[in-house]
Amino acid sequence: MGFGMARKVAGKIGAGSCIALALAASLALAQERAPESTPPSEAPPLSPACEAPAGDIAAPASLPHFAKALRERKTASILAIGSSSTSGVGATSDAKSYPAQLEAILEGALKGVDVVVANRGVSGEVAAVTAERIKSEVAREKPDLLLWQLGTNDALVRIAPDEFENTVSSTIRWLKANEIDVVLVGLQYSSRFSRDEEYFAIRNVLQRVATAENVAYVRRYDAMRFIAQNHANLQMMARDNFHLNDLGYQCMAEHIARAVIVGVFAKRRPSGN
Amino acid sequence: MREPNEIDFWRGFALVTIFVNHIPGIFFERFTFRNVAISDSAELFVFLAGWALRKLVDGPAKPLSARYLILRLEGRAFTVYLAQLVIAQLAVALLAGASLLLDAPFLLDWNNASAIFSDPVRANLGLVLLTFQLGYFDILPLYVVLMLVSPLIALSYRHARALLLPASLALWAYALAFGVNFPTWPVEGAWFFDPLAWQLVFVLGFLLAGEDGIGGLVRRYRKPLWWAALPIVLLGAVAARTEFDPSPIALPEPKLFFVFDKTFLSPARLLSNLAIVAVFAGAFHAIARGLPRLADFLSALGRNSLNVFCAGSLLSLAGQIFRFAYSGDVVSDAFIVMFGIAAMGATAWASEWRERLRAKSARAPA
Repeated sequence: MGFGMARKVAGKIGAGSCIALALAASLALAQERAPESTPPSEAPPLSPACEAPAGDIAAPASLPHFAKALRERKTASILAIGSSSTSGVGATSDAKSYPAQLEAILEGALKGVDVVVANRGVSGEVAAVTAERIKSEVAREKPDLLLWQLGTNDALVRIAPDEFENTVSSTIRWLKANEIDVVLVGLQYSSRFSRDEEYFAIRNVLQRVATAENVAYVRRYDAMRFIAQNHANLQMMARDNFHLNDLGYQCMAEHIARAVIVGVFAKRRPSGN
Repeated sequence: MREPNEIDFWRGFALVTIFVNHIPGIFFERFTFRNVAISDSAELFVFLAGWALRKLVDGPAKPLSARYLILRLEGRAFTVYLAQLVIAQLAVALLAGASLLLDAPFLLDWNNASAIFSDPVRANLGLVLLTFQLGYFDILPLYVVLMLVSPLIALSYRHARALLLPASLALWAYALAFGVNFPTWPVEGAWFFDPLAWQLVFVLGFLLAGEDGIGGLVRRYRKPLWWAALPIVLLGAVAARTEFDPSPIALPEPKLFFVFDKTFLSPARLLSNLAIVAVFAGAFHAIARGLPRLADFLSALGRNSLNVFCAGSLLSLAGQIFRFAYSGDVVSDAFIVMFGIAAMGATAWASEWRERLRAKSARAPA
């Protein structure tokens, strides 16, 4: 059944080995203390274009099941689910979508392991529909880690924030019960919605849920805004000025890779799942 | 034009429910029955489509030879296919128009549409091959597949009746055991409604519509079945309200048999649908007595289910865009629902008016 195959790609080794170099440092740090809501100060370096303050990139949390799979099987599967930013709208090819780039970065950084990233992005999808797909995808693919990119469409179609919160937290609890780690990947930044109340409310919900459920949260909005404001000369957006371009997806992949790698080496928190 | 009847009424009910359920975030979604059941109007719609097929095969198509029966059913499949192509294209145009009008390029992403604009060469091919489906425009592709194989169902009913249910069950079990589904292309993934699994609810509708076999059996034991189904419906309501959803990790393989999965029509969803049918079968007569206008209206929608479904799909999408543009609140949501249901009624009326006109001109001398 060919449809279950993940997109395999090569490339992006450069960024990967950069991260690998810094792994020893972050490993030593992680062993000293469990990470709090902020990542270790010595985080894997990013390519210059994707630089952003650590706090703007992600709030990592430990990924015990993914780490265990890597440790015991030397292979782990990741399910990347979400909407257009996952499927890769705006990228010049499938190989430039963030899940494909992430696979290369992780395999470069975590030497000697096989990471398979399956892309299950459906553009324009709201979280409630993705949540339904998660159930059947999980039953079929049995991933160790689920990367859930969400929120932008829920904000745009005006889903009530409490309804969104309910969908996300109940799905996270279901995933935890199934021993699957979760990384939430937040809303994207767009100057058009920087003052939109609904957009703001959905963003708050994600942050709150990630903290309450103790799951990693990639703060895409903050990182993208930082880059947009500080590297104004770098074009991260596709021609429609809403989707990312290849460079935008590279930064997204690097930021998510960072949250994943920190999560792998982070000790479990006492209250951990 | 048929008198209002039970099947048309519930088909109409399913159509209105689908229309509301396909506008994510709308206030009135909370009043649809999926909030108190673990199945929803999709199962009901496909079940009733199977039921309607039986009425056709036992009724107007009964005298047809196998060859003409195949022709008639494949013709219907082709009609449904054309309907899917037309509404998918109109949906794409609706999104494109709205994105221009509202200066909102991200609207081009909605309902999985982005490949049409970013990868048109492959996506347009996929649209015609039904391997590329817009979000919420995924029921008719299932219906096309079911109608394509409907001659198989009808002919095995005629000539090998005892085989139909076991074969259907076996195919469903195979799909669930191995997670077999149709792939999508060019967007990587699988069909939202797996035809290999969903054919079962269609075949069950087909079989239960008849007076013989399991259809006869359930008619004979209607009272005890009602009492058996009631706790299932109530349990489903509790599960839905408490958001109970079994965790696959605790379940034995193959897990798709035990989770509440929509794509693969897990047993729990199927059972929920059958129990709902068992409990509410016959309720139509009381509804028709108490609320005759409602019975007339929903039956009119159900009589013209394909046209009304198409209109409803596009109205749902228009509703989504409307909610974006006017930041949906209860008042604008009420407007969307009232306008949508009225437009679906107008679609049914126009379809029947056109048929009457055609019948009249056929009678008139040339």
